[in-house]
Amino acid sequence: MFPVLQSNLPYLLQGAVYTVILSAIVVSCGTALGVGIGVLASVGGAILRSIITAYIFLFRGVPVLVIMFLGFYSFPALGLRLDAYTAVAISMIVYVGAFVAEATRGAIAGVPTGQTEAAKSLGMRKGKMMREIVLPQAMRLVIAPVLNISLMAIKQTSYASIVGAWELSFAAREVVERTLAAFQIFLGVMLIYFIICYPLSLAARALDKRLAFDS
Amino acid sequence: MDAFVIFFTRYLPAFADGFLITAGVAALAAPAALIWAIVLIIPRLAQWTWASRLVDAYVEVMRNSPLLVQMYLLYFGLPLLGLFWSSIVCGVIAIASQHGAFLSEILRSGIQSLSQRQWEAGSAIGMRRFAVIRLVILPQAFIKVLPALGNQLIVLVKDTSLVSAIGVMDLTLTGKMTIERSGASFEAFIAVAFFYLILTSTLGLVLRIIEVRAARRYG
Amino acid sequence: MNQAAAPISQSDDIVAIRGLRKSYSTLEVLKGIDISVKRGEVVVILGPSGSGKSTMLRCVNFLENFDQGTITVEGRPVGYKMVNGTRRPVSEVDNASLRQHVGMVFQSYNLFPHRTVLQNVMMGPVKVKGMDNSKARDIAMKLLAKVGMEHKADAYPGRLSGGQQQRVAIARALAMEPSVMLFDEVTSALDPELVGEVLKVMRELAEEGMTMIVVTHEMGFARGVADRVVFMDGGVVVEQGPPEEIMTNPQTDRFRGFLSRHLSHEG
Ligand SMILES: Nc1ncnc2c1ncn2[C@@H]1O[C@H](COP(=O)(O)OP(=O)(O)O)[C@@H](O)[C@H]1O
Ligand SMILES: [Mg+2]
Repeated sequence: MFPVLQSNLPYLLQGAVYTVILSAIVVSCGTALGVGIGVLASVGGAILRSIITAYIFLFRGVPVLVIMFLGFYSFPALGLRLDAYTAVAISMIVYVGAFVAEATRGAIAGVPTGQTEAAKSLGMRKGKMMREIVLPQAMRLVIAPVLNISLMAIKQTSYASIVGAWELSFAAREVVERTLAAFQIFLGVMLIYFIICYPLSLAARALDKRLAFDS
Repeated sequence: MDAFVIFFTRYLPAFADGFLITAGVAALAAPAALIWAIVLIIPRLAQWTWASRLVDAYVEVMRNSPLLVQMYLLYFGLPLLGLFWSSIVCGVIAIASQHGAFLSEILRSGIQSLSQRQWEAGSAIGMRRFAVIRLVILPQAFIKVLPALGNQLIVLVKDTSLVSAIGVMDLTLTGKMTIERSGASFEAFIAVAFFYLILTSTLGLVLRIIEVRAARRYG
Repeated sequence: MNQAAAPISQSDDIVAIRGLRKSYSTLEVLKGIDISVKRGEVVVILGPSGSGKSTMLRCVNFLENFDQGTITVEGRPVGYKMVNGTRRPVSEVDNASLRQHVGMVFQSYNLFPHRTVLQNVMMGPVKVKGMDNSKARDIAMKLLAKVGMEHKADAYPGRLSGGQQQRVAIARALAMEPSVMLFDEVTSALDPELVGEVLKVMRELAEEGMTMIVVTHEMGFARGVADRVVFMDGGVVVEQGPPEEIMTNPQTDRFRGFLSRHLSHEG
């Protein structure tokens, strides 16, 4: 029924593999970086906090595509030879990190003060209170936002094609340039992205409802 | 420092043009997306079952596939149908159709979170269904979801950068061209980031003021 | 800790509050409070809402800082100490070690929702005192039995009623073997039929000789359990004395008015 899509499907799926790998790297590293920075922002001193605030403000306020261009052009300018993937991956990790850091900071602030007061009243010190009481509760609050951020990041890996990293969207454009079958190919590619994203999307929504503690 | 000054005076006109294009695309796409979002929630409010399901499917597809591919679909697909629309028009339509879907989800969750009691209160004083929706439900839902709507609009502004991928000379493409011409990647990045931050933080500020006002008036 | 080096107070006061003053920006909430509590004494604080009872109580374990005055718990200074004639905040370590001796129970329970009932009670001994798990478990189970909650040891707090949560919160505080227990309106958030089970636990504690400072609106508890009642209003102590004396024969209009309002509620 869709001959062009069918004959090019293996090629596109190869692209999809690259998309999935890139997404997995960006999401896992970005989440780890963001959670770390979010925790630092909550325990650190005033100077550290304002540096982190500036980082979050900058990276959340500028399009990811611009950050990708920055990564792509500025590593060579610093004398580092990186391929497009590495440049894109690093840029996106830093970008995703800013979103996760903000979510983490919010989740930590969202743990009720009664919890920290109860912990203090037992004679608990700050570090232990963070580990034992605040973080376990904040991490539950942060799962749903992180899933949504991951979803955003997976879709944004398609922008890597603009700076020249070959993945699903890049492959799609190549095929369309060759075959001109824009509808078949791009709709097919949207479907492939949908298959990658939809389970996460469902999980995010289900968790949104379920993860709040009964009180 | 001098290098910075020279760079900026040399390329400022280009960045100003790019900034205007980006602001223009956002100014077209944001209202279009909002209107589209309201259109998309009508079937649910009116309880048109089949149309609602269609809208649900549309929203899911939009939420779960990249804007870039949707934009390519229009830009490379429409000419096959004999429609030779400019890249700006294709970009605006693509942005409005994805963000309209996101915005309608936000509006919908706002409406759902309003209690059944609001409906009953409305019907009890004898309002017809659409009057209840227009006078009671929509204004309240709107206020409730203002922060989420605002965040989504900021994402929309950033997403206008994708029109650079179909050749619109916006801020992002200006930045890229400047880097390629001058090799000054950091300077160009700082200039581009600066202009985007002006747009996103001004919008953020305006939205915050609206939120506070609305909360004061209706809260 | 270094008990021998700590200044020994003249009396056998467990808690001594002297000239305590505190403001929130321009609002002076505590205007010079003096209260002392002896070992084994149960002091009930009464007073209209907004009179500074919670603030005073929270100063005792330094959840709240204060501007003037001193508080000591077993002779150890709370929050500040004098160094060469100037008042300096004590370190976070000192605050933490002091709080080990002061148990606190909150109006809103504040159990840790991500831990079971048993884990909540074991939290202090294991994570603060470094006690090994099996010993802490024994202590926790005994305390849970004492508050009648051993059958819910493995439940999560979210599954319990308010009264049950509050009894667990009391057990959690007791697990640190504090020298004094602070209760801040611990029955105010409860449905009326659940108040009794919590008051019963508190009454038993008092009978065992626990030193307690109890902020409450339960007049019956004040009358029946308190060794001394302190009436606060507008950030000062207006009256204090044994309940049978001052509650039957209040000396001030303010306390009389307060009593008549609250006793009529009870009747
Ligand atoms: N964090 C705070 N900031 C400003 N004012 C406060 C704060 N906490 C309490 N207050 C004020 O201090 C006064 C005493 O409060 P509180 O100690 O809670 O009274 P009580 O427990 O007797 O009802 C009240 O007027 C209250 O509004
Ligand atoms: Mg109070």
